[in-house]
Amino acid sequence: MTALRADVLVIGGGATGAAAAWDAALRGFDVVLVDRADLAEGTSGRFHGLLHSGGRYVVKDRLAAEECVAENVILRRVIPHCIEDTGGLFVTTPDDDPAYADRFLQGCEETELPAEEIPVAEALRAERRLNPRISRAIRVPDASIDIWKTVWSLATGAAEHGARILTYHKVIDLHSADGAVTGARVRHEQTGEELDIEAGFTLNASGAWAAQIVRMAGIEGIGVIPGKGIMIAMNHRLVNTVINRCTMPADGDILVPIRTISAIGTTDIRAADPDEIPVTQDEVDQMLDDGDRLVPGLRQARALRVWAGARPLFQDERSGPAAADTRDVSRTHAVVDHAERDGVRGLLTMSGGKLTTMRLMAQDLVDAMCRQLGTERPSRTEHERPPGAEDGEYMRLGSRLRRREETLQDEQLICECELIGRGRLEEAMRNSGTANLDDIRRRLRLGMGPCQGGFCIYRATGIEHAIERLDGAEASASLLSFLRERWKGVWPILYGDQLRQARLDDWIFQGLLDVEHLPEGAPVASTEEPAPV
Amino acid sequence: MTHHDVVVVGTGVAGLTAALRLAEDGARVIVLAKGVGATHLSPVTVDVLGYDPERVARPLEAVQRLIEQRPDHPYALVGPEGIRAAVAWFKERFADGPLAPYAYTGDVERNMLLPTAVGALRPSAVVPETMAGGEVGDGDVCVVGFRALKDFHPLLLTDNLNRLGAVSARGLELDLTPEGRADINALGFARAFDDPGFRGQLTIRLADRLRGDERVALPAVLGIADPHHAWADLQERLGRPVFEVPTLPPSVPGMRVFATLRERLRRAGGRVVLNNVVTGADRAAGRVTAVRARVGLRDVVYGADWVVAATGGFASGGLELDSRWVGHETALGLPVSGIPAVGSDRFRADYFDSHPMGRAGVAVDGDQRPVDATGAQVFENVLVAGATLAGAEPWREKSGDGLSLATGHRAAEIILAESGARAGAAAAGIGG
Repeated sequence: MTALRADVLVIGGGATGAAAAWDAALRGFDVVLVDRADLAEGTSGRFHGLLHSGGRYVVKDRLAAEECVAENVILRRVIPHCIEDTGGLFVTTPDDDPAYADRFLQGCEETELPAEEIPVAEALRAERRLNPRISRAIRVPDASIDIWKTVWSLATGAAEHGARILTYHKVIDLHSADGAVTGARVRHEQTGEELDIEAGFTLNASGAWAAQIVRMAGIEGIGVIPGKGIMIAMNHRLVNTVINRCTMPADGDILVPIRTISAIGTTDIRAADPDEIPVTQDEVDQMLDDGDRLVPGLRQARALRVWAGARPLFQDERSGPAAADTRDVSRTHAVVDHAERDGVRGLLTMSGGKLTTMRLMAQDLVDAMCRQLGTERPSRTEHERPPGAEDGEYMRLGSRLRRREETLQDEQLICECELIGRGRLEEAMRNSGTANLDDIRRRLRLGMGPCQGGFCIYRATGIEHAIERLDGAEASASLLSFLRERWKGVWPILYGDQLRQARLDDWIFQGLLDVEHLPEGAPVASTEEPAPV
Repeated sequence: MTHHDVVVVGTGVAGLTAALRLAEDGARVIVLAKGVGATHLSPVTVDVLGYDPERVARPLEAVQRLIEQRPDHPYALVGPEGIRAAVAWFKERFADGPLAPYAYTGDVERNMLLPTAVGALRPSAVVPETMAGGEVGDGDVCVVGFRALKDFHPLLLTDNLNRLGAVSARGLELDLTPEGRADINALGFARAFDDPGFRGQLTIRLADRLRGDERVALPAVLGIADPHHAWADLQERLGRPVFEVPTLPPSVPGMRVFATLRERLRRAGGRVVLNNVVTGADRAAGRVTAVRARVGLRDVVYGADWVVAATGGFASGGLELDSRWVGHETALGLPVSGIPAVGSDRFRADYFDSHPMGRAGVAVDGDQRPVDATGAQVFENVLVAGATLAGAEPWREKSGDGLSLATGHRAAEIILAESGARAGAAAAGIGG
């Protein structure tokens, strides 16, 4: 058994955990972050990619709206390289009450959200696929955000300030002494090796899994309701602006252009287990109908993938019974102080929250830790930029293509859909510390385009084997595991052109390569749920 | 409006086979297609039956068992004798074809086990002569790939082959690039292999790196204009057997098949017309009288006595499933059967499982006429062939081009027999 020592142990490598590690490391703490899987593989990597302006909450949840308004400005400043400045529109469709827009505008004014009603004709000129029967359109500073880039950027920044990032390390127990949590025992999910981490303080940023963690410290009465949100990635940018229905938040009312796709979302359905959130046919159908309301003809467009995330919606037995609809549980976050609540020092849990306020959540969490430790170190994340943001430029759709064009004749293109060259792929394979193709997929977006890995995954497997990251058995297992994982995210939306693509992929992998009759090999660790685009 | 004895829709193996077989007997045939077909994607090895679901050693015997168990399988339309006749016919088309002496070899009674580009062993009955040397047997193998060809990975292939224990193999990756570019696909390499100079360069690179009596495996890119001589010349230069391993699309061996069948069709008086998207048919009294095609912005009408629908399955766009889970046959609007009802599972959760949607397609009667849900014939002069047919999962069974070839061939035989009978026993040719 090996042991590690740190000032702060952060549990969870999603947006909140990465932001907390970044925040704490910037304040000079020695940080270890653990995640049972890869970074941003849980809820963070399974959302729609919307950086809220706050508009969604201005009528219903004033506090949440105010937080979004402020954080939108801050994130645009500190991580512009992860954000595409698409802007957003709230539109009144024929199924919506036109009067809601007045309440909406009033809410924007009260929360100082810079919103502007524009003529419908202007909105339709800008977004030609938008439902021509909309009656009002209001412009807001929504944007889309690349979550993997964000989380990796923050984690890399933390690492540059001394943090150690341990992926595939699952917490199996919390250590306690004298009424305080003193660290955790973690197990490497691929090697089975166990490791003790001694930590002066433990920050529980495990979101939908937070209740499972605190129970290890004997803390009861905290529950997390996983709120299932499903999203469908449509091939192409059906719109270039984030489109929201101007109505009380409901299912299927947001369409987000991100990178080369647009994501339609989302639902909010109570689930029993954050690790078991299957997508049903009815949900897909409903989402397509909802999307069709925003962009008529969306049903005829090509759907690429569907995925579901588990929003962490907290319930504390001490603050009353659960609401029936998880959407009514506040999205505003709170730090649960276990010293106060349970008499357990050295442990804080982040409850609730949303992607857009991840930085604020992390700041509040680390502030609370500093208070308990009796030390005063102010947060710097409001102004400090993590690596990658140096030039202060927003992410742009064409930037990958522009970079690619410079080396068009000199470098092999391994993934044509996502424009990934061989050099970048090999570098990621060598430096990532993982040999799992699915992890590489999230790092680079390998196999995330229209062909869903039909061509590039055989290539990537061969390259990974050739650079001796994997032997034949491991490479084959990794290939099979990738195909199985990919399938989970595509089969519920297989119709039209994507069924055609999937059948071509069947011919390639089964008809041509006969991969299903490869000799069995050691399995490569993989996740269970449909993964996001 | 032009008029033909037979309009064939689709230019894959099924469509080209039907068209050529008909034209050779004097029928006036035209092949309409949106673009080139599955030949450019598939290795076009004649896989009769590879798995049932166990690995099959004797394909025709296994087909007989399959037909008895699953009378709705399209092989039931042709039977073992139909397969045998179609394969014999196909092999003869190469023996004196435009790429001769490039030939297909093998026996429908016995499957070979040939390595795939990932190093699995795939059963196949009849294959290009350039691939047959890969049959697992005695003799070590040296698999040679090219860094510039990203669609073939020799080290992965050999590592898996060695794990199977069937053969002793090792891999080499060469930095030999025909045009000095980093990224060249299979077709680019095939053109290079047509050039003796390139074959000479390869020979120099390999000369002192090959050992003992190793066979040499290369990706299936050994020439497109004259593949037999490219292959034979390499064997001579290297002084040892050489064989091709099929890899990702574009498929060079498939293009050789397309070129052969299309050229023979041209010589027999028929032709292939691309950029014709067939959008429907004119019908009268249970018959199709003409096929309508969109050519650019124009609509063109092709009168026909007979129509062969060979537009392929879901992979080729011959079949489509819309977002309400309704199936469509895209050329003539034929009924599609086998699509699970709304509310039931169309796919299973494990990718490698057999999926309920897998066998969806156009159902036919014993004479390959499309039928509707009640089993009633839709058109008396339309026959269906190839991957459009319901009842098979060829990518799983490894029956792909065997099915297309046999059902395409039989569609032609049926038309020839019926039109001959209709024209009277004494009349030659067909007409209707």
